[in-house]
Amino acid sequence: MSDSENVQVFILAENRLLREALTRILGKKNDIRVVGASAFSPDVVAQISSASPDVLLSDSAAVALSDLRLISEVRAAIPGLKVVMIGMDADPETFLRAVRDGIVGFVLKDASAMEVAAAVRCVANHEAVCPPSLCMALFERVASQNQNAHPASFVIRHNLGLTRREQQLVQMISHGLTNKEIASQLNLSEQTVKNHIHRMLRKLGAADRLGAVELCRLPGAVA
Amino acid sequence: MQKIRVLVANRPRLMKDLVLATIGDQPDIEVVGETQDEAEITELVERTRPDYLIIALENPEVRPGLSGFLLGRYPEMKILALAAERNSGIFYWAFVDIRSMPVESSEQGILGVLRSKPELVGI
Repeated sequence: MSDSENVQVFILAENRLLREALTRILGKKNDIRVVGASAFSPDVVAQISSASPDVLLSDSAAVALSDLRLISEVRAAIPGLKVVMIGMDADPETFLRAVRDGIVGFVLKDASAMEVAAAVRCVANHEAVCPPSLCMALFERVASQNQNAHPASFVIRHNLGLTRREQQLVQMISHGLTNKEIASQLNLSEQTVKNHIHRMLRKLGAADRLGAVELCRLPGAVA
Repeated sequence: MQKIRVLVANRPRLMKDLVLATIGDQPDIEVVGETQDEAEITELVERTRPDYLIIALENPEVRPGLSGFLLGRYPEMKILALAAERNSGIFYWAFVDIRSMPVESSEQGILGVLRSKPELVGI
């Protein structure tokens, strides 16, 4: 914590009531200080950086508006920043994507304002926060990665056997691009992109796009 | 001065807490009840007879079904429906038929509606 007494928080939310009322509620806590609040804008990372918070409390709508790049960008800009996301629904894929990007806390909209404040304190104290329903998704994902560990080691030794085009696709998928966006950037039809991805998943033995990205993130996985 | 009586019944819980935080310490507003259970709303309205009811707005394009029923039964009451994800809210009241106008989901938007007197301006 930058201040031994207070956790400094920046609130990033598209809903104005969420920003205003959370600022008011958190501001009343003795151990929390709100150092900024904003909706998403192209210069929001600079705005957050200049406020230098310990914790970023963001709703999922703001992250979605940033093409999902916001969390990784803001963490790169502020080393040690803890991010708590307020999820509008309990979608495991949104949650797992956010975990991969580096969030350490996730609360659902059904949480109380007190629970949101508690989550801010927890992450500032180096603890993670996760709703039980989504914890299960996390455990299952980690377990499934472990089951794939041996085949992955084998394919890694062979550089995963991906063509340059397939490696390029993995990178684009990891940046959150849809098939349509990839097709547009590579001047290919959407069907061709789908065919490439299907072939790549088969080669990797990955269950889905995100599984393929995880495999390719292992050291030495791609050339 | 007679206080503005408000029943808070919007969802999800976080948004209800935020509405309560916004209006709870206003000297001219009294929260007469709160619930997250839609099934309880009619009974609570009957019991507390609020000036304003705040409910959830699932889809800004579609008027919440409950609002038509309640305004038919309690035409003196006004309803503010708030969306959780967007900034949008809609204010409903009965004036011959049911009228509505968009409202920003913000502290200013909510307090502005609760202190308004739409029947006097005929909007």
